Amino acid sequence: MATFYVNGRTVTVQRNQSLLRFLRDELHLTSVKDGCSEGACGACTVIIDGETCRACVPKTDALEGKHVLTVEGLSPWEKKLYTYAYGEAGAVQCGFCIPGMVLCTKSLLDRVDDPTEEQIRHAIRNNYCRCTGYVKIIKAIQLAAKLKREGAIPEPTETDWKLGSSVHRLDVEEKVLGYGKYPDDWYLENMAYGSAVRSQYARARVLGIDAEKARALPGVVAVITAEDIPGENKVGHIKHDQYTLIPIGGLTHYLGDAIALVVAEDQETLEKAKKLVKVTYEPLPPIHGPEEAKSPDAPLVFDEEKTNVQAHKHVARGDASGAIAQSKYVISRHFETPWTEHAFLEPECAVAYWDEDGYVRILSTDQSSHTTLHECKLLLGSEKVRVQNQLVGGGFGGKEDMSVQHHAALITYLTGRAVKVKFSRAESLLVHPKRHPFWMDFTIGCDENGIIQGVKASVYSDTGAFASLGGPVLERACTHASGPYNYQNFEIDGTAYYTNNPPAGAFRGFGVTQTCFAIESLLNEMAEKVGISPWEIRYRNAIRPGQELPNGQIVGAETGLVETLEAIRPYYDAAVAAGKPVGLACAMKNSGVGVGLPDWGRCKLIVEADEKVHIYSGASCIGQGLGTVLVQMVVTNTPLGRDDIVYERSNTWIAPDSGDSSGSRQTLVTGEACRRACEKLAEALGNHPLSDLIGQVFYGEYLAKTDKLGADVPHPVSHVAYGYATQMAVLDRSTGRIESMVAVHDVGKAVNPRSCEGQIEGGVVMSMGYALREQYPIDENCKPIDKFGKLGLFRAHEIPDIQAIVLDKPGLDVACGAIGIGEITSIPTAPAIAEAYYQLDGKRRTKLPLEDTPYERKR
Amino acid sequence: MRSQVALVACNGGCRNTSCAYGCIGCGMCVSICPFGAIAFNDNGVAQVDERLCQGCGACVVECPQGIIRLHDADCPIVIKCSNRDPGKVARTACEVSCIGCGICEKVCPSGAAQVANNLSAIDEELCLSCGMCAVKCPRHAIYDLRGILTAKA
Repeated sequence: MATFYVNGRTVTVQRNQSLLRFLRDELHLTSVKDGCSEGACGACTVIIDGETCRACVPKTDALEGKHVLTVEGLSPWEKKLYTYAYGEAGAVQCGFCIPGMVLCTKSLLDRVDDPTEEQIRHAIRNNYCRCTGYVKIIKAIQLAAKLKREGAIPEPTETDWKLGSSVHRLDVEEKVLGYGKYPDDWYLENMAYGSAVRSQYARARVLGIDAEKARALPGVVAVITAEDIPGENKVGHIKHDQYTLIPIGGLTHYLGDAIALVVAEDQETLEKAKKLVKVTYEPLPPIHGPEEAKSPDAPLVFDEEKTNVQAHKHVARGDASGAIAQSKYVISRHFETPWTEHAFLEPECAVAYWDEDGYVRILSTDQSSHTTLHECKLLLGSEKVRVQNQLVGGGFGGKEDMSVQHHAALITYLTGRAVKVKFSRAESLLVHPKRHPFWMDFTIGCDENGIIQGVKASVYSDTGAFASLGGPVLERACTHASGPYNYQNFEIDGTAYYTNNPPAGAFRGFGVTQTCFAIESLLNEMAEKVGISPWEIRYRNAIRPGQELPNGQIVGAETGLVETLEAIRPYYDAAVAAGKPVGLACAMKNSGVGVGLPDWGRCKLIVEADEKVHIYSGASCIGQGLGTVLVQMVVTNTPLGRDDIVYERSNTWIAPDSGDSSGSRQTLVTGEACRRACEKLAEALGNHPLSDLIGQVFYGEYLAKTDKLGADVPHPVSHVAYGYATQMAVLDRSTGRIESMVAVHDVGKAVNPRSCEGQIEGGVVMSMGYALREQYPIDENCKPIDKFGKLGLFRAHEIPDIQAIVLDKPGLDVACGAIGIGEITSIPTAPAIAEAYYQLDGKRRTKLPLEDTPYERKR
Repeated sequence: MRSQVALVACNGGCRNTSCAYGCIGCGMCVSICPFGAIAFNDNGVAQVDERLCQGCGACVVECPQGIIRLHDADCPIVIKCSNRDPGKVARTACEVSCIGCGICEKVCPSGAAQVANNLSAIDEELCLSCGMCAVKCPRHAIYDLRGILTAKA
């Protein structure tokens, strides 16, 4: 027992527990986020006696007499100050790390009036952020310090919500002050807790499940096994090969496979009960990687399959072999890229309950509520399901699959109880699909002027224990392997293999981060061979409006690769002139799913009784800022002002399906659907007040129509739009560390330029990790061995100067010219950095993370 | 920022019975410190006042036991023991000795705490200053110098 103070109030805690559990579960101070409960992430940072401290570390009994402060306990003026500063700087994306960052800010500013940038970086260096790259958080702290000194909080500098205006994002306040709800922030009446018992072996046959002891434990509500599933056991995006629960007699595919679901009244009983479920196995040798998977005598990962090949793609145009044979310069190289963990700050969590209309309601944090709906309906064999997105604490592709949502739905459906299913950080690291590791052999041929004649490549990937989006990722890796250049002889063959490793799926860049490293590294080497600069070889080959990409698509007037090269040139020339090691790389990335798939954006604008227009679209705002984009779209395309508009989080019963937040597609595809709905609303509105339209619904939809891969047409439209980018890295010769990164991006019309910069900075820092340090090692039992804090994510004191430059070039005539930005920010970073190291020490590095740099972590 | 300050890696002092590694209370560091930053604490162990310490390193050179080192002033989580004897021996030498049990290594989220030669050490480049090791150390050999998660001394 201990008595201490929380936000000035005296509390007496009877049961010794972690401060985090007490603050969240008993006081419901949910600004204190549970990101890992391991001491690593910093999302649960509070202030104890003036010092920042993670709430998951101390036990309550050790806090006698101490003063604990959470964001809820800040003064009204401080709340206003930090909301303003973080909003003005554009520092808030998914928001999960933000309350912790705010308390680091307060703790710093309480001691130092006018902190230096170095002091600021140090104040937040123990807190991870995966969205922002810290750049704008540092700016927010600088601004907060200035305003605190001045003692006054001004109005936002931009208040016109039209496109092109860097307004504060609409969810800044709820994220800064921590009252916005992620699923874990819900504490429903009579809510039970659910969790899965997972396989002890990556590959084994389940012989029996004995749950009697667990069921007999007081406080256990139920133990659910595969035979209890009313509908289809297997879920999955395209291919249904992800077991909800492995049945008796079934094969396990990785250590994350769930075998039984345990439901209990409280979290402690739940953990005890999970240990009481006895599963008997026949352990079988696992498949550790593609080399084993492809061997002719390899055992099969799936009982249902005849091969371990999950997907195979072949893309060919022209005569690559012939063109290479005729080329003056030819280079062949082998490249490898690693597994990468998304490391979003918010672990997966879902809450489910029976709603008042007799539906299983799922409160989720995922990249598409409609995908979750679709999969859960199949699982339950029932139409009575509704899904509503809560705030989403980062996704980056890692929240596209079923992880906890289907388990929560199943528990509620079978037990009638409200339930919370939440991953521990270790579970999150194990279970959700990662970025695919790739092994790639590339050959490029160029003429004497460095003009690309042809490229031929063969790649394979480890897609792990179920398909997830392994097929489409492989396809995108192949279609974009050519790079954004104008040549016509291209051939690539790609294969994705099932193994018993954790699954791989979508990850910001979607396969292109991998093949871009290969093709761009080859171009850098080729430039040297030809005797021209890496900039020059790109400028000579860059795809220009009206030209044909290697996939046959003729690109339109909006194509801005050349402009990105021209914009970066002064920086490049200056760094070269100063004798600094500098590297450069380009990329293109589709916006929209493309390749002939039905890619619909849908949006409803409903005038409700509050005389406001409510935006409903089944498109997830996962921290990228979609809600703000759509409000800016409505303000631009109707006579309405910001205060007339309410953005509603995605749901499945009012908001129409607008596809996954994937493929950098929402700004363009849902943005255009919204614009179309705006046209109808504006027409109906005329000179009437909104009150005349109450109850009316204005619907917009847009099909981003494309041709399928290999379509037999002269110039197939593979994607409706592409974003283009050039990034460069400059090293400090004395330390061997990155001194600065410059990233120039063509995004068409920038809806909110500051938001766009934030995406770029975050993407660049994420891929600095990919290039230099991040790993996800897996041991001989197919078990990922590292904790969150060991992944190698960059911290605030380590980031270089980052210049994000957003070109404002007119885009397509859809979505007011806006093209997506989400993924491309992470694509050219790694090859640019690899080239900079080559310039430093003359070593060509063909494997990520790069070896022999000061960032390398020896194991 | 990132200034270096001295740390005496021992807090046994008056509790010490037979440790050959720890502070012997000779007072060399106390007398040599040009900033008056070192004094004996209640346990009879030399202790650095980090607010006064300028990180000159004079005490590091002077300490006959070699148990004073410079560390990152921004990393408040420190191991205050220098005993490299096997756990069994170290356990009897002092009630706040590191016995190399490896619990710190196990709970450390970032791989910063590592046991080598029966003694835990924290890599301050990797340390996230969470203090999980300090809270879990069964020997109370790891301290939070801010006095939040553990006693100050």
